[in-house]
Order: sequence, then structure tokens, then C-alpha cells
Amino acid sequence: MSQKKYWKGLEELANTPEYQQSVANEFNEELPLDLSDNLLNATTPRRDFLKFLGFSTLAATVAASCEMPVRKAIPYAIKPEDIIPGVPNYYASTFVDNGECVPAVVKTRDGRPIMIEGNTLSKITEGGTSARMIAATLSLYDKTRLRQPHVDGKAVDTFDAVDNAVISGLNAANGAIYLLTGTIISPTSEQVIAQFLAKYPGAKHVTYDPVSYTGILLANEVSYGSRMIPNFLFDKAKTVFSLGADFLGTWISPVEYSKGYTKARKIVSKDIKDFEMNKHYQVEGMLSMTGANADERATCRPSEYGKVAAALHAAVTTGAAANTGSKNLDKLIAKAAADLKKGNGLVVSGSNDVNVQIIINAINHAIGANGTTIDFSTPAKNKKGIDADMVALINAMNAGQVGALIMHGVNPAYEYFEGDKFLAGLKKVKTTVSFSDRLDETAKECKYVVSDHHWLESWGDTEAKVNHFSFIQPTIAPLFKTRAFQDSLLKWAGATGTYHDLFNAYWVGKLGQATFDKALQDGIIEPATQTVSGASFSGNVADAIAKATAVSSKSEYEVEVFQTASLGAGGAWSNNPWLQELPDPITKVAWDNYAMMSPKTAKEKFNAELTSINQVDPKKHVVKITVGKKEVSLPIIVTPGMHHNVIAVAIGYGRDKGVGLAAADLGKNVYPLVGFNGQSFTYSADAKVEKTDAFYPVAVTQTHNSAEHRPIIYEYTLEEFKKNPYELIDERREAIEHYLTAPNEEHHEGHDAYGKGDKFDAKKFEEDFRKNGTHYPVHESMGLHWAMSIDLNSCTGCGACVIACHAENNVSVVGKDRVIKVQEMSWLKIDRYFSGDPNDPDTIQTVFQPMLCQHCDNAPCENVCPVSATNHSSEGLNQMAYNRCIGTKYCANNCPYKVRRFNWFDWNDADCFEDNLYSDGRRDDINDDLTRMVLNPDVTVRSRGVMEKCSFCVQRLQDAKLTAKKEGTPLKDHHVSTACQSACGGGCITFGNVNDKESAVFQDRYVNNKERLFYMLESIHVLPNVSYLSKIRNTDVVMSATEKDEVYNKHI
Amino acid sequence: MHLKYESFIREPLVDGNKTYKDVTADICRPIEQKPSKLWYFGLVVSLLFLGFGAFSVFWEVYWGIGVWGINHTIGWGWDITNFVWWVGIGHAGTLISAILLLFRQHWRTGVNRAAEAMTIFAVMCAGQFPIFHMGRVWDAMYVLPLPNTRGPLWPNFNSALLWDVFAISTYFTVSLLFWYSGLIPDFATIRDRAKTKLRKRLYGLASFGWTGTAKNWQRFEALSLVLAGLSTPLVLSVHTIVSFDFATSVIPGWHATIFPPYFVAGAIFSGFAMVNTLLILVRKIYHLEEYITMGHIEAMNKVIVLTGSIVGIAYLTELFMAWYSQVVYEQEAFKWRVLGPYWWSYWAMMTCNVVSPQFFWFKKLRRNIVFSFILSIVVNIGMWFERFVIIATTLYRDYIPSNWSYYSPTWPELGFYLGTFGLFFTCFLLFSKYFPVIAIAEIKFVLKTTGDKAHEDNLALEEKSLEEFIHIAEHAH
Repeated sequence: MSQKKYWKGLEELANTPEYQQSVANEFNEELPLDLSDNLLNATTPRRDFLKFLGFSTLAATVAASCEMPVRKAIPYAIKPEDIIPGVPNYYASTFVDNGECVPAVVKTRDGRPIMIEGNTLSKITEGGTSARMIAATLSLYDKTRLRQPHVDGKAVDTFDAVDNAVISGLNAANGAIYLLTGTIISPTSEQVIAQFLAKYPGAKHVTYDPVSYTGILLANEVSYGSRMIPNFLFDKAKTVFSLGADFLGTWISPVEYSKGYTKARKIVSKDIKDFEMNKHYQVEGMLSMTGANADERATCRPSEYGKVAAALHAAVTTGAAANTGSKNLDKLIAKAAADLKKGNGLVVSGSNDVNVQIIINAINHAIGANGTTIDFSTPAKNKKGIDADMVALINAMNAGQVGALIMHGVNPAYEYFEGDKFLAGLKKVKTTVSFSDRLDETAKECKYVVSDHHWLESWGDTEAKVNHFSFIQPTIAPLFKTRAFQDSLLKWAGATGTYHDLFNAYWVGKLGQATFDKALQDGIIEPATQTVSGASFSGNVADAIAKATAVSSKSEYEVEVFQTASLGAGGAWSNNPWLQELPDPITKVAWDNYAMMSPKTAKEKFNAELTSINQVDPKKHVVKITVGKKEVSLPIIVTPGMHHNVIAVAIGYGRDKGVGLAAADLGKNVYPLVGFNGQSFTYSADAKVEKTDAFYPVAVTQTHNSAEHRPIIYEYTLEEFKKNPYELIDERREAIEHYLTAPNEEHHEGHDAYGKGDKFDAKKFEEDFRKNGTHYPVHESMGLHWAMSIDLNSCTGCGACVIACHAENNVSVVGKDRVIKVQEMSWLKIDRYFSGDPNDPDTIQTVFQPMLCQHCDNAPCENVCPVSATNHSSEGLNQMAYNRCIGTKYCANNCPYKVRRFNWFDWNDADCFEDNLYSDGRRDDINDDLTRMVLNPDVTVRSRGVMEKCSFCVQRLQDAKLTAKKEGTPLKDHHVSTACQSACGGGCITFGNVNDKESAVFQDRYVNNKERLFYMLESIHVLPNVSYLSKIRNTDVVMSATEKDEVYNKHI
Repeated sequence: MHLKYESFIREPLVDGNKTYKDVTADICRPIEQKPSKLWYFGLVVSLLFLGFGAFSVFWEVYWGIGVWGINHTIGWGWDITNFVWWVGIGHAGTLISAILLLFRQHWRTGVNRAAEAMTIFAVMCAGQFPIFHMGRVWDAMYVLPLPNTRGPLWPNFNSALLWDVFAISTYFTVSLLFWYSGLIPDFATIRDRAKTKLRKRLYGLASFGWTGTAKNWQRFEALSLVLAGLSTPLVLSVHTIVSFDFATSVIPGWHATIFPPYFVAGAIFSGFAMVNTLLILVRKIYHLEEYITMGHIEAMNKVIVLTGSIVGIAYLTELFMAWYSQVVYEQEAFKWRVLGPYWWSYWAMMTCNVVSPQFFWFKKLRRNIVFSFILSIVVNIGMWFERFVIIATTLYRDYIPSNWSYYSPTWPELGFYLGTFGLFFTCFLLFSKYFPVIAIAEIKFVLKTTGDKAHEDNLALEEKSLEEFIHIAEHAH
């Protein structure tokens, strides 16, 4: 083949060197990119421009979208053995507050304690809780807590600096060394204190209880020979007579007493014929939470407690008729005396007067309570303070006889009635040490502040009753540079070991390692069987009667100082926003203290009314209360059930800025109104009460007091109920009978289709109503169907469930201003209704009703949501899709129960707007990084503008389903509980799968308590999944059923 | 041409012996003149209100609905009250343009343009409230049935609030189209009279190249009739659906079958009152007394007394039903409405809506311009209270007494309301300056038959004998 060569152009033919070079270079044109130095000056070519444009747009987009929040999650590099991220651990511990002691189980998630429940192993409290106990997690993460030891108000970095100074101060003390503590119920701490006292000869230990029980301690010393508080067995009492003791709310050991009390009132209505329920008489000056639960109640002035006690004593011993000046009271005493004499009676008194308590002991002796309802074999140790010791200490301080004062668990500058005198004395003491966790009223005046751990960070033990031990174990490493006060004392006593060593040695020595480990895990050691033994009573009753009845009031008004169920004696609780926002059970006021006053007195003397527009106006009249030389001005909260001459004011308010944002300057400190009678503190005093022109806004969460005779509450007397247990069933039938049969059937035929009396088929009745009350087809309920039953008879109104709900579900705190605006967020609230005549406090009856989302199967909220953000689960839950909610609030309007809560503001820094977090200066700490550690990671924190409400703790339900699935068993009651249910010591709430015939809620509804069962607003066919059980009062008359129900007649 | 004979007893719809030329000149005058100082003043005030409203809304969107006075018992307050109020006002326009057109009520020609404009502006104002009452207004598009990647997730077609979205947007669209199609020949008139290029161009664009041919007119008439037919059911449906927001609920005081007719009557009532308020001002300011005559005002007043009485009967029926039903919640709800802490709002409603319109049974008062003006405002105050009574005073005391509460508005709520007044009057002032406030073409149509001029022409016929008259009538063409 010829090698013909074809050339493509003249260049190729010529084949110059230039041409060869250009062929070698494939892309021989210059790139149109100016990379020279004068780039910036160059006129950019078109393609460059496009490149730059493209690059910069991309860069801008990337930069704009790269603003990612810094995530602070740090994975475990080496996973701790017992922590699985996302899986909670539970530790047994013990809640201790001013001698009150409740065994607890603490839930921790990823090393953070987030929820506290009761320890069901304890026979004392049986898993009961209180609002304060559950709120303790929030106090742990309190931003105001001191993060270092302080000297002269300034932080120091090491304990050594403090220790050396304190030790030299103690050694150089030119007067007695005093250790001032609250009641210590820890055996090992007592050892530590003994060691400390031994090191410094002449050192003394004084115990001070901010709310004193000296009266009862001293009286028992007289009557029974020892300063102790016996074991009150409320569960065994058939008749309880309380003379001003708030034993369900605040008195000595309320969780324990509530448990026993509610047990004695539990009703299984199918057994009603031979059922006995305890009968509770209450005589008091103010309306307390306990008084609100009483079957029969009469009022007197607190100064008349002696006379009432004497009259009751006379009635039970000689049968003499009482003559107290009040007919109601006389009648009540006669009735109570008759009941007490039948046996199994129990008389308690909240009076701090020794003589009154001696008379009470005499009565208990006379009715044979000792050994039946009062046990002396395992007396309680909850309170030990003797007031005279404290007064003597203050006097010694002022006389310059005290060289050093070390304080733990007390804050006398605030909670001592002569705080000024204490502070004056404190100035004369050279070495002053406080173990307070914050710079409170006392600590800020102390030279050294060496903060103690929070109990959730501590080791410890308690002996609330003889031989009943409960352990405290840490659930988190100390957050700050704090030290157990026992360690400090040991250090200052020159001991080498730590408290933990001592604690271990003590218990291992006592129990052996294995038993101790088991005890720590269980949290408690209690005797296997409880023995009840009496005690021999002795003492000069006549003398006590003479002294007690000699007390009388000379002024028109008496002021009574009381503790609220939420804040108690004050302490650090005042700075707990959950507790501050928990409405008082009686007044339904949050965030303040106030002067409680009867409607008659308020209207006639102070121009403050309970009706019409004044109900809802937050501005309340202010009165000036003067006791001796001390005066406080407080707003009036008109409260039915108050004695006309009694004004009640609560402690725990009026705190210093050092206590924290939530507490500072809120309300007034009323401790100064407390008196001292030479033997014990008196919590009531003659007072002058004057009208002022001022008004003060108060946050009241419930402004209407009557249930308006609506079928939302049913209550019967025990006698009525025994006579005709089926009255409520008949009422339900009457209300909905037209809807029980399908429209084309004869309806009168259906009336008796469900059986009469105990043959009543509650299940079929409900199913027929469900099916025939609507035009629409009914959804079959298969598998799980969640349901709740609430027993109104067991609810004492304490509010533990409300706080449990806050803790479990990250419910927002909104602050006083927003509570005033009715914008609070609580998913669960306790409604309180009065009936009776407000002008006659003895007739007032109170009902508490926990109110939460009713999870209606035919929910009116669901069909009105334009975007289906709220919808129904196949398990009967009314659920919220927060992401979908646009916040029209239509669902809330259409909710007959008004239990939906709207996120009015950005409460938790959870929305997408910057810097618009709601702030009121009072709840702001709640959004601190530290405080947010309390949030439950299983529950979404809701953003602004979305609706929320009770979810039946859906996260717990999911967890329970998974557990059951893993076990391979059907889901049963023991798998699941809602937060409110576990918190309730009274066992008021039953929850479970109502499709399971063995579940407690099924049994409660359709077998055991069908006679008492009702649904709120049943007739509107919303088919709620929450049912209630009617309240049974062991009394002669239910006021709301009478014409004398003036609260209803006047619609107040 | 056929002969139309109208009785002399019948009041002319256009006074002052106008010719076609006069009509055009009179109505175009405000557009072609420089606006008065009063107009500028009005515009500045309106813009200030609008600005304050915008700030109030910004405040609410930024901080949260909590800045309003509503609470967890009373979830709707001034927001939805104002929404229903404005929607109600927006009813008169369509009623006048559609239903009165179908019923051949010629007096509508004098007022329909302004009434329709008012409708559109009122619906614009109304729309603001449901949008900005949302907690998360930035997610407002969830209410639209848009195809989406969220599942797909659709709105809840069971919700009356969703029906509202459709009802209001449909109503707004149809009203806007109706209004604009009517404006086309008039824009062409202005274009033809324009002396500047810009004006000619702009009105030329707005008139879609209208040339006034017979075909143009034929199609125009056809479109008007179709739109009238479309909007007639809307007059009834919109407020019916708004009433469903309440009627489909379970709350005593809301859950009532009487709501649809009651709401529609109330809407017409307030709409006509608002038309009266505006027209009395417009005729005075633009000297249009000869086109918007006393007769027009009187006709409106007659509708007001009729609808006011219907509303009054509805109020009494509600009370009767509450008693007759023997449902305790229903009875108490009305008791608390009438006698509870909000008694003043109920009685303000009763006085303004039921008692005050009864004065219009007297012809003297019906034809009294000052009285009509005052009463038109009183009626709208009353209608505002009606919505407030229905919303706030129903919610404040419903089933469970522990929830009972009270509500008073805060400044952002007040500001929002004032802001919608700003929006409304800004729009209305711009409209009255740049658009013919009376339908030129339509008024010319009635001029021939019912104007002063026509009456004069008819006078000649009166002279004739019966035979002659019959002859003329038979041979008229």
C-alpha cells in the first residue's frame, strides 16, 4: 500500500517548529482567566464575572447555612459500666427536709437526677411523695447555690484556707462554741457531731426547728416521760379529731399521715354495705388543707384551742356538754366525743402550747388511743427542737458569751421570730460558720460559708422512727465545690477519715457488707413486723386545763401564722419556681403570701368582696396587720371557711435577694409575728388589722369557688350512699337515657336493659351510649386503650401530682405576671370547690378535683384543628404533634374542660426567634444552662406558639410497651404508671389499659366502684378516657345538696 | 327603543336634571382635580394608624401571642371579634352588586361601586386577624392543601377554620373580579378624557383596551350576570361558614343551629350601616348629592331596620332556646352573658343593634342625614359588641366553673384593630381619588329611565290622551 500522506492545511505541510509546538499543546488557547497582579484593577471578563458570581453565591449560601448551633453533647470515650445513654438509672435515696423524711427513688438520666418518686418498699410512706420532695431536683440545679466556700462574703478557692481559719477561730474562741442545727435524724451525723463536741469541750449542740413542735415534745415528756413524738397510726383510726393540726399538709410527717389517712377512707363501693370509713373532725381557726378534707369541721380562735381541748376532754371523760360559745363547735365536740369513745379514736393538735398538748395526751389516754392508734414502740424522731434552748442561745449571743457559732440547716435571721436580735447577737460572735447552700439572710452575715452538698449529692442515713432506717446515696457528683457538713465537722474535729468512711464503717459494722449493700439498693431497713404498744400516761391534767383555758384573746382579730403545703417553712424552697407556681390548695394563689380572711369580715370591715368582678380582678385590698410593735401589710384573699376573727398569713415569703431571683422580695416575712410564751413559740397572736388604700396584684388561678351544682362533682354522705349506692347510676341514666338506644329503636325498653342495683352492667351502658349517642360509626377499640380513674375521695389537694407533672413533662413555669394573666402552663391542676354559707365558716365544705386532659375518644379539640395537629391515637390518646401546630387556639376554645395550654411566649428559649425569651426577672434562672439540666430528655421542650397539654405521659407508655414486648408478655398494670399516679401518696389515681379486664382501672370502673363512677360532662358525648369516683363524706349533710349552699346561691 | 314609563310618585334615582355629559364630568371630577387638604389629612392619619397597626403586629409576632390579653380560658378575644366584624361589613358590597342586580333594583347603581370597594377592603382587613392570631404565623401555609413532602400531609377538612380559609379566599377573589370588571368601561372613560400621557397610558392599561363597541358591551353584560350569579350564593355562604366556626363547636352559646341565618342577617346589617357611613361622607366631600340621593340613604336605612329586627329576633330566639332546651349549661351561659361581669357588653349590643334601628320606622328619621350617619356608626358599634359577646362572653364562663376567667385587651390588640382601620381608610381614600366612586356607565343606564331628565320627558306623555299614549307606546322603537 502506498503511504499517501494527506495534509490538513498549509501549516501542516510547512510543518514549522511553531506549528509542532502548538500541536503538542492540546488546549492551545489561553484560559480567559486573568491571574496577574492587577487582577483587581482589571476589567473582569464576562466568564470571570460568572465564575466569581457563582463562587460568591455558593460561598454566601454555605456561610449562611453553616451557622449551626454548637452542640454540647460529648460522647463517652470510655463508657461507664452502668450508664447506657438514653436509659435511666434509679437510685434509692431519702428526702429530708427539716426533720421530715421520705424514702425516695431518684431517676437519673445520663448522670443527672431528673425525677424523684416515692420508695414503695418503705412501710412508713409506701411510695408517698410531696410537692417539695419532687421539686428537689430543681433545687439541686438552683443557679443561686454557692459554687465555692466563702469567707467574709468573698469566694475562696480551697477548703484549706477556710479550714485553717475556722480551726484557729474555734481554738481561740473566747466563749462557748455552739453548733446550731435543725433536727438531725441521721445516726452517723449524730456520731460526727458527738466527735466534734468532744474535740471542743464546752461546745454545745442546739436544735432549732423553724416551725416548732416544742409543745408536743415537752408535753410528751410530762405525760410519757420522754421527749419524743409517738407514732400516729392514722390508718388504724376510725375517728380522727384534729385541733388545728394540718397533718395532711405540713404537720410533722404529712406524707406518712396522708398515706394512712387516705387508706382509712378508701372505698370499694361493691362492698359498701359492710364498709366503715374513718370520720375526721377538724377544729381550727383558718381553713387548712386538712380542714378542707374533714368530714365535720368547726372553727374557733387559735387562742381557744385550750378551751376546745378542755371541753373535749370533759366530754370524753365526764360526758359534760361543751360550752365554748359556739353552738356548732359544742355540737361537734359532743359528736366527736361520742365517736372517740367508741374506740380507735385519735386526737392530734397543731398547737405548740405544752398545756394544750397535755390535754390532748389526756384525751388520747382516756379514749384508749395509746396502743391502738398511737404507738410508742417506734416513736418518731422528726422533730427535736426545744424553743427555750434557742432563745437562751440568742440571749447568750447578745450577752457576748458565745465564741463561735456553727449553723446547719437553719436560717435564724429569717426564720427566727426576733431575727434582728439574732443578727445583733451574731455580730458579737467572732467565729460564725454557715453550711447554707446560698448566701441567705443568715449566711451573708456569717464569716465563713462552707456549703453543704445537696442531698441528691450526698451520702447519709436517716432514722425517722426508731429502727426505721433510710439511706441517702448520691445520684450525681457534686456540681460545685461543696463539702458534706459532716466532713467539715470531722475536719474541724481533727479527724482524719471522711464522713463516707465513717458512714461505711458504721453500717458495715452494724449490718455486714452484703446486708448493707442490699439495704443501700432498697434504700431502707425496717422491722419486718410492726408492733403497736401503748405507754402509761401520767401528769397533772387539771393544772394543764387550768393553764390552757386561762389563755384568751383580748383583741378583735387574731393572726395565725401557718406553713403552705408548697413552701413549708421556707428555707431554700422559696427559690423553687415550681413550688412558687404551685397554687395553694385552698386559696389557689401562687407566687405570694397574703392575709386570708373570712368573706364576712372582708366585706364588712375591709370592703373586699368575693363576688362579681372582684373575683377576677387581681388587684386586692391591702391590710396592715400589727402585732405588738411589728407590722406587715398584705393583700386580702377572701377565703370561705375562715373564722371571722382570724387572719391567716403564711411563712416562706419576703425573702432576701441572696435566696434567689424567684424568691426575692415576694410577699412579706411573717416570722416576726410569731411569739414566745416563755416555753414555746406561739403561732397565733392578738393583732390589730387596719384598712389601707393600697392595692396589690395577686396571682389567683381559680377565681370561681362554686361548682354551680353542675354534674362535674358528685358527693354523697356515707349514710346516703349506704342507703342507696345506685343514686349516681340513676342520675347518669337519666341524663343520657335518650341516647342509649339507636334512634329507630324503642327507647324506654332500654332503660332497664342494664340491670338494677349491683347487677348494673356499667360496661354495656357505656358501650351503648358510645354507639348510639352519635350518627357516626364507632371506632373499635382493640389492644391497648389507656384510661385513668381518679378517686375524689382520696385526693387531699396536696399538689404532689402537679409538681410531678412539671418535672416529668418539662412543663414551663410562667411567673407571677403571667399567672395573673391566666396564661399558666400546668397540664394538671387541682380544682377546689366550696359549698356552704360563706358567712358561717363551720358550714363550708371543700372538694378537690384533679383536672387534666380527659383524652376524649370523641374529642372536640381534634375535629376543629385546621391542620390536624391534634389527633387521636389508636390507643385512645388525644395526642399533639407540636411540629404541626400553628397555634389557632381553636382546640383550646372547643375544649369543654379548658385543659389545653398554649405557649404564649418563648418560655424556654425553644423557638426560632433570637432574643425573645420571655423574662420577668423572677423565673429567668429557669433557662440557665445549669437549671435546664432538670429537663427530661424524653420530652420535647415546646416552642412558642404551639398548644400543649397532658399526654398521659406518653413517653412512659412507649417505654412500658417496649418493656412488655421485651419480656414477651402482654402489657399489665405493673409495667406502666403516669407521673401523677406515682406521685400520689393517696392512691387517688388509677391508670392502665381498660381493655384488660384485670387492670385496676377496669376493675375500678366496671366492677369494684361502678356505683361511684362518673365522667365529667358525660352527656355531651365527648367520651372522656378519664373517669372520676364520687366523693363520700362521713357526715350528716352535703352542703351542696342543700338550699343553704350560699356559695352557689350567690355564685361566688 | 321600548318605552319605560315610571310613576312621578317614585323618587328619581338621579337628581338635578343631568345629561350624560354632566354625569361623566361630575364623577370624573375628583379624579381629575387635585385632592383637597382634607384628603391629604385623611391619608396621613390613615397611614399613621396603619403604621401603628403594623408595629403592634410586629410586637405580637416577635414576642408571642402572650402580649395580648387572651388566656387559656378565653382563647379568642379581639382578634376573632374583629375578624368576624370586618367580614360582616364586607357583606354589603356583594349583596348590593349581586343580589340587587338580579332583583333589578336600580337604586343600587348609585352605591354599588363604593360598596364593592368597601367589601374588598373590609375582607382584606378581616383576613389579617386569622393570619396573625396564629401562634406560629410563619407556618400559616399548613392550612393550604398544597402538595407537600410531609407525608403528604393534608389539612383537616373537618375543621370549620379550614372552611373559612376557602370561603374567605373565594369570596375575596370573586368580589375583586366583579368589582374590577365593572370598573373597566369607567376606566376607559377616564382614559378618553385624560390630558396627560401617563394618565392615558395607565388608565388605558387598566381598561384592557375597552373601546365601547356593542360586542364589548354585550360581553360586559354577560360577565356581570355570570359573576352576579356566582357571588349570590357567596353572600349567604361566607358568613354561614364563619358562623360554623362557632356553631360546630361544643361550647354552650356557640353550639346553635340558628347561627348561619343570624350571622348572615347581622352581616348585611353591619355592611349596610358601613356603606351608609362611607357614602354619607363621600357624597358630601365629592359633592355627589345628586347621585347618592336621600332616596338611596333611605333605601339603605330600610334594609338596616329589616336586618336589625331579624338580628333582634335571633337574640331573643337564643334566649328562648336556652330556656326551652332545659340544658343547664346553655341556660347559664346566657345568664352570664346577660347578667354576668360582662353584662355591659350584652346590653351595649342590645341597645345598638335592636333598639336603635327601630327609629328607622319613622320616615322623617330615615331621611335625616345626620341621624342616619350617627345611627350607621351606632349599628357598627353594636355589631362589634355582638361578636365580642359571642366570642369572649361565651368562653369566659362555660362548663367548668374553676376555669372561669375574665379578659381585657392590651395595647397590641387595640393597635392591631386600629391598624386595620388605617388599612381600610388608606385603601378607601386612594380608591376615591383614583377610581370613579360611582359606576358611570351604570348610572347612565338608569338616567334615561328614572332620572330627573326622564321624568321631564315623561311629563310630555302625561299631556297625551289615552289613545295617543297607546299609539306611542305601541310604536315606540
